[in-house]
Amino acid sequence: MRKYFSKERMFYFRRILMHPLDSFYEIRHREYGSVPVALICVLLFGLVFTMNRIFAGFIVNEVNPRTVNGLTEIGSVFLLFMLFCIGNWSVTCLMNGEGRLKDIITVVGYSLTPLIAVYIPATLLSHVVAAGEEVFYYFAIGAGLVWFGLLVLMGIMTVHNYSLLKTIVTLVLTLLAMFILIFLALLIYDLINQVYIFIYSIYTELIFRY
Amino acid sequence: MKKITSLALACMLFALAVFPVSASGNLPYDSYIYDYWENIVLTPAPYVPGGSVSGVSLGVGAFSRPQDMCVGPDGLVYVADTGNNRIVILNEEMTEPVGIIDSFYNNNSPDTFNAPFGVSVSPDNLLYVADSQNMRVIALDGDKVVHTVKDPQSEMLDEEFIFTPLKVAVDFAGRVYVIARGMTQGIMVFNPEGEFTGFFGTINVQITPWEIFWRAISTRAQRERQQLFIATEFTGIDVDSRGFIYASNIDSDGLRAVRRLNPTGEDVIRTGENEHLGGDLVWGGFTPYAGPSQIVDVVYRGKGIYSLLDSRRGRVFTYDREGNLLYIFGGLGSQAGTFRQPVSIEALGSRIAVLDAARNEIMIFEETLYGRLINEAVALRYDGDESQAVEKWRQVLLLNENLEIANIGIGKAYLTSGDNLNAMKYLRLGQSRTYYSIAYRRYRNEVLKANLPWVLTGVLVLAAALPVTVTLRKRRRAKLKGGADG
Repeated sequence: MRKYFSKERMFYFRRILMHPLDSFYEIRHREYGSVPVALICVLLFGLVFTMNRIFAGFIVNEVNPRTVNGLTEIGSVFLLFMLFCIGNWSVTCLMNGEGRLKDIITVVGYSLTPLIAVYIPATLLSHVVAAGEEVFYYFAIGAGLVWFGLLVLMGIMTVHNYSLLKTIVTLVLTLLAMFILIFLALLIYDLINQVYIFIYSIYTELIFRY
Repeated sequence: MKKITSLALACMLFALAVFPVSASGNLPYDSYIYDYWENIVLTPAPYVPGGSVSGVSLGVGAFSRPQDMCVGPDGLVYVADTGNNRIVILNEEMTEPVGIIDSFYNNNSPDTFNAPFGVSVSPDNLLYVADSQNMRVIALDGDKVVHTVKDPQSEMLDEEFIFTPLKVAVDFAGRVYVIARGMTQGIMVFNPEGEFTGFFGTINVQITPWEIFWRAISTRAQRERQQLFIATEFTGIDVDSRGFIYASNIDSDGLRAVRRLNPTGEDVIRTGENEHLGGDLVWGGFTPYAGPSQIVDVVYRGKGIYSLLDSRRGRVFTYDREGNLLYIFGGLGSQAGTFRQPVSIEALGSRIAVLDAARNEIMIFEETLYGRLINEAVALRYDGDESQAVEKWRQVLLLNENLEIANIGIGKAYLTSGDNLNAMKYLRLGQSRTYYSIAYRRYRNEVLKANLPWVLTGVLVLAAALPVTVTLRKRRRAKLKGGADG
């Protein structure tokens, strides 16, 4: 436990905000990152994202609060995160990337820090804006997103030891890989379902006969 | 057996729990409305069936595919009995036939109708009939033809264009507006002398980039077989008290099925927050019952309220002047109070009459308390009497707590009277972000005005106190140090 949650590792993600390239390098080569902490970051992001959907001010909030389910929201954020990481891992494995799955998860998870930091004040801010002032709110969220995007870009670049162009190419391929993963998952689901139906029909047949 | 009974009972209980019984009770249709998130929300019935009128019940012989009806300035109801080539006139209550026109004098020679499709009565009580198979529109004064519109001549019209008038309307200046079969360029306008003066309210064809793309990559042979982008035809027409034309059309996107045209032919209709004036919002699926509403007629009911008639699902949609959906009722079927092929809608005082071309009947709908309260509240708001409208809206809320327009109505009144906090509460319930924002801005200013003085004073005091404390602390520290040394 100490290994994952030592003081340096717990708060290492703070360093990412100021010195992203150095800290990503240290994550890869000096084992400063921690997968559990990264997963906690994802969980936290799911939480603040759900909070934003439910509690953002009336003027900027078009979401029907009755349709928001916290567990589903967090689950889908988590799923998307894992999908991206596995997709990236499977692409970079083939493209001489030096990063391990562990590094990718850590880097992407830590990169969520600015988004988490922005979503809470933005949600609070949304309660004091009137129509015409929403731009402050959207700007805050937009800035967080851009920051997050840049961090992911730098992180992927550093852990795999890629050039910028190659990173962008792998990110596009990652999207493709994510679609393939979804397709495969649906295919497997369907196959398992068919096998299940087959076994179940044999079972009912036996039940009716004996 | 017992098991089945209990199962059935459980199912019924479940159905009761899931589909709450609205005030409609045993009506043959559901009354509903769409909320801000475009969910279907059941409401109490605004109108309930109040009997029907047929040619048989009137003793004039069954109607045969009647296509149109209208109400004259004196309250008489004129029905175009298309298949029988006659116009049947009913009294105000629609209980007795007042007269039947099947022949008339045209320049002192007897003449008859051939499939009269549309009727309209001008403000000076001339009966205009769209005599479709005779290719003319005639104006009758009693049994004499006083005006005839036929064979329009203009370079705007095709050589082989055949003038088949379907629907007709007349405004106070005697201009005749005609919807003709196959005429996609708009409503045809004729001056009182019967000369064609031009088109009116043309619906522009909207082509999406996607369609342009497909056009660009398809071959000439493919293009010839593709559907042409033709503007839709108008289906129904009505004139309001100020001479504005309400015209309905079938919109394949189900977004905008009605236009309010000013005398120059511009569309000046107002839409609500979802910018939707096309009937149903939810119409997915692949059955004949699915698909966008087919609006076949429109009626202006006074005080800015107008109703649209949908032939696909037999609904009547009612909107106010601002384009807010007020209520929806009606349905297809064979029970009393449902339609098979609704073609025309009219308002008779507090009642609504719908002409059905397949059942050869006129269905009458009576206003309920719920419908009356909404109509009255909207009318009061139209007249600018917000405070009295609030009373009506409150009563509406007692019957239907979730009605957004009622909450907005109350919220707006609070906004006008300066009670911003209550305005915010009701506007939020009504999901009106625009007006909520106005109320919120005012409320925020109030709070700031009330609290800014002491907040600023506090800041000033702190700013003044800071250097003092810092100096004091320094001195104390120095003293302590001195004490430790000494």
